[in-house]
Amino acid sequence: MDFALSEEQELFRTAIRKYMNNLNGTEAARAVIDGKLDVVKSAASGLAEMGVTAIPVSEESDGLGLGALDLVPVFEETGRVLLPGSQLETLALAVPLLESFGTPAQKAARLPNVASGASTISVAWYEKGTSLFPNSFCCVAAKTENGYALTGTKTLVPVIGDPDVFITGAQTAEGKSLFLVKASDLSSVRTLSVVDETQQLAEVTFDAAPGELLGEPGNAADMLKHGLLHFNAALCSSMVGGMDELVKMTAEYAKIRVQFNQPIGRFQAIKHGIVNMKLDLETARSLSYYAAWAVETDAVDKVAAVHSARSFISKAYIKAAGDSIQIHGGIGFTEELDVQLFLKRARYYENYFGSVRDSRKATAHSLGWHSVPAKRDAVPVS
Amino acid sequence: MDFTFTEKEEKFRGELRGWLEVNLPKGWLQGDRKLPEDNEHYSKSLRDWQRTLYEGGWAAISWPKEYGGRDATLMEEIIYHQEMVRVKSPPLVNYIGIHMVAPTLMQMGTDAQKDEFIGKILTGEQVWSQGYSEPGAGSDLTALQTTAVKKDGKWVINGQKVWTSFAHLADRCFLLTKTSQSEKKHEGITVFLLDMDQEGVETRPIVQMDGHQEFNEVYLTDAIATDEDIVGEEGKGWAVLIALMLHERSGIAAQVFTLEQQFDSVIEMAKTIRVNGTPLIEDPFVEDGLADLHARINGAKLNYYRNITHTLKNGKPGAESSLDKLLVSELTKEVFDFAMTIQGHAGVLTHDDALFDGEMQRQYLASFGATIGGGTSEVQRNTIGERILGLPKDLGR
Ligand SMILES: Cc1cc2nc3c(=O)[nH]c(=O)nc-3n(C[C@H](O)[C@H](O)[C@H](O)COP(=O)(O)OP(=O)(O)OC[C@H]3O[C@@H](n4cnc5c(N)ncnc54)[C@H](O)[C@@H]3O)c2cc1C
Repeated sequence: MDFALSEEQELFRTAIRKYMNNLNGTEAARAVIDGKLDVVKSAASGLAEMGVTAIPVSEESDGLGLGALDLVPVFEETGRVLLPGSQLETLALAVPLLESFGTPAQKAARLPNVASGASTISVAWYEKGTSLFPNSFCCVAAKTENGYALTGTKTLVPVIGDPDVFITGAQTAEGKSLFLVKASDLSSVRTLSVVDETQQLAEVTFDAAPGELLGEPGNAADMLKHGLLHFNAALCSSMVGGMDELVKMTAEYAKIRVQFNQPIGRFQAIKHGIVNMKLDLETARSLSYYAAWAVETDAVDKVAAVHSARSFISKAYIKAAGDSIQIHGGIGFTEELDVQLFLKRARYYENYFGSVRDSRKATAHSLGWHSVPAKRDAVPVS
Repeated sequence: MDFTFTEKEEKFRGELRGWLEVNLPKGWLQGDRKLPEDNEHYSKSLRDWQRTLYEGGWAAISWPKEYGGRDATLMEEIIYHQEMVRVKSPPLVNYIGIHMVAPTLMQMGTDAQKDEFIGKILTGEQVWSQGYSEPGAGSDLTALQTTAVKKDGKWVINGQKVWTSFAHLADRCFLLTKTSQSEKKHEGITVFLLDMDQEGVETRPIVQMDGHQEFNEVYLTDAIATDEDIVGEEGKGWAVLIALMLHERSGIAAQVFTLEQQFDSVIEMAKTIRVNGTPLIEDPFVEDGLADLHARINGAKLNYYRNITHTLKNGKPGAESSLDKLLVSELTKEVFDFAMTIQGHAGVLTHDDALFDGEMQRQYLASFGATIGGGTSEVQRNTIGERILGLPKDLGR
């Protein structure tokens, strides 16, 4: 039994945290709110210099060929400071999709650039009024002489850090299919107002934009499901990082804030509230580590592992942030404190590429709860 | 990260499985798991079971070999708990003796005490109880009123204990008393290994809210003990108590696996029971709630694994292990709370008239003891807040 990150992974965490401290914690996130987007790019290139962008890319494509567990410390630490950027989308969704379904030519064209940090890839998936897995897309891909031309509108597209490529879905004769589209081929981009102002989402329009088919046509849903296992495991790490920071800052505050002649941390209503946050944090961390391990090792229970983690942590993160605001009192309700940023980020992630309900459904189905009833009281021996 | 068991560990599991197959009471594995209702036969059948465990070398695997144990590793202990839970083995009547009293005696007992008690604890000849709580001392054990006074070379003990589990079956009691009054709350406490088979000890069962009578009031009226019955030093009983509590480790392990199994039985119920012809599990509300519980129970088990890893790497458990008790006991309550809710109107019935023979009803009522016994959830939260998060101490403690 060894349920811990390796020494190397912990060392890498220390390095990333140091870099995040140099960026002054949530400063980069706050800069985005002020419209100063340079920081996003400089942080991204800093991470690339440290080798972060090469982690999940295979060695044949100039990467390090490491696994989901190696991304855990990265995303915990970037999540801790709410670092804005498209690292999650690029490293935990686009790369696994390209590695699993890309042709040798597609891999050669895209992955080395991702590994070096020269390219970031985002995802243009949702359409207005549809779900994560719609019956069909309105966005259509028409066959052309040398490929496909995509026409339609996608929404909730993460565009922070100027991704140069989008993975998107469109309807073909064979059904829903995945495509790669260059950012330069979009006909319009309209940024949207987002609850979490440290993020940037847009509505993007394709007008006969050239699309490169990724994988088999008609397989978009299955491919996305596969990619989302990686994505959700990484997203969980990011949320755990945020929760960890919330527990830390809330406990610190409760030690120094004095009311009725004593630190408020002495009041049990406060103390027990923080302990409950801590309890959720440790559960979240265990679930997220296991999810990453299950993805990395292709474990039989990987779907349940990832979706249990995602559903639990999404809710726990929101609750931790809400309780932290309460424990901070009046100052907790202000813009000055970071807690509100964490709350908005937690809310943003709650329904980002899937909801709590979706994850619970996926868990139940993967555990076979809907199959034939088990026979009572039979205890299989050996 | 590595969740596999070694070949040696799997061999250990196989050995235990094979032994259980042969030695569990007849019909047990097939689901015939009824234990006698009346105390006398209940006690006898459980003592017999412990004797069987002892004879097979499976009664106290974590004890050192010199005392009749197996020197089991932490991983073997985990496997042991997993397997015992898997076959829903009969309860260990001398749980307190084996997991708490004997290890404490090995650590701080006199040679005479080790000779006298350890062997009998192992065989099940001697069953033990713990006498801490009193009507006025529960969460605050330093508020003890039971006194032991020395007269003519003997200790004369007077007072009343309450909630004493197994006292009605026990031969001996690990008893907390006051032997002197002191300014400091933790001083003047002395632990006796009290012989319960004497006139000055009267045990009265208390009926629990689930109808069972597993704990008791114990009245001590001029009960007698000797110097030889004192563990550690006179007046220094608090340190003995703390040592004993550290031995509860493996008990917590078992609870995580028990919780997992209990949850499986709820899943089975939701798959088996039909409402208007549709299995309960098909109801999105049921599915959603159970998936949520699944995530949290899995999290509790993984937390436990993380703590085991910490222990294996550092040689001793981390403070984080105190999170386990709180998490598992609270989750146990939630699981059966939900199991009651989803039964709908059939949930008002119990015993044979209820769905699943009233298993959920029984466990639901029993679950309320989990967050009180062994220290309440509130007291656990104080401990975690102060020891792990470094928050300021509660006033008065
Ligand atoms: C199933 C079961 C088995 C048991 N077995 C044994 C046994 O074998 N031997 C034995 O000696 N005892 C045993 N006990 C007793 C158990 O240890 C006590 O019940 C427990 O410690 C609580 O004490 P109390 O009942 O006096 O409650 P109280 O201490 O009076 O507590 C009442 C309420 O006040 C809260 N409270 C108390 N102090 C604080 C505080 N500082 N901060 C916040 N809240 C507080 C409690 O959490 C609780 O909610 C058993 C209890 C149960 C339920």
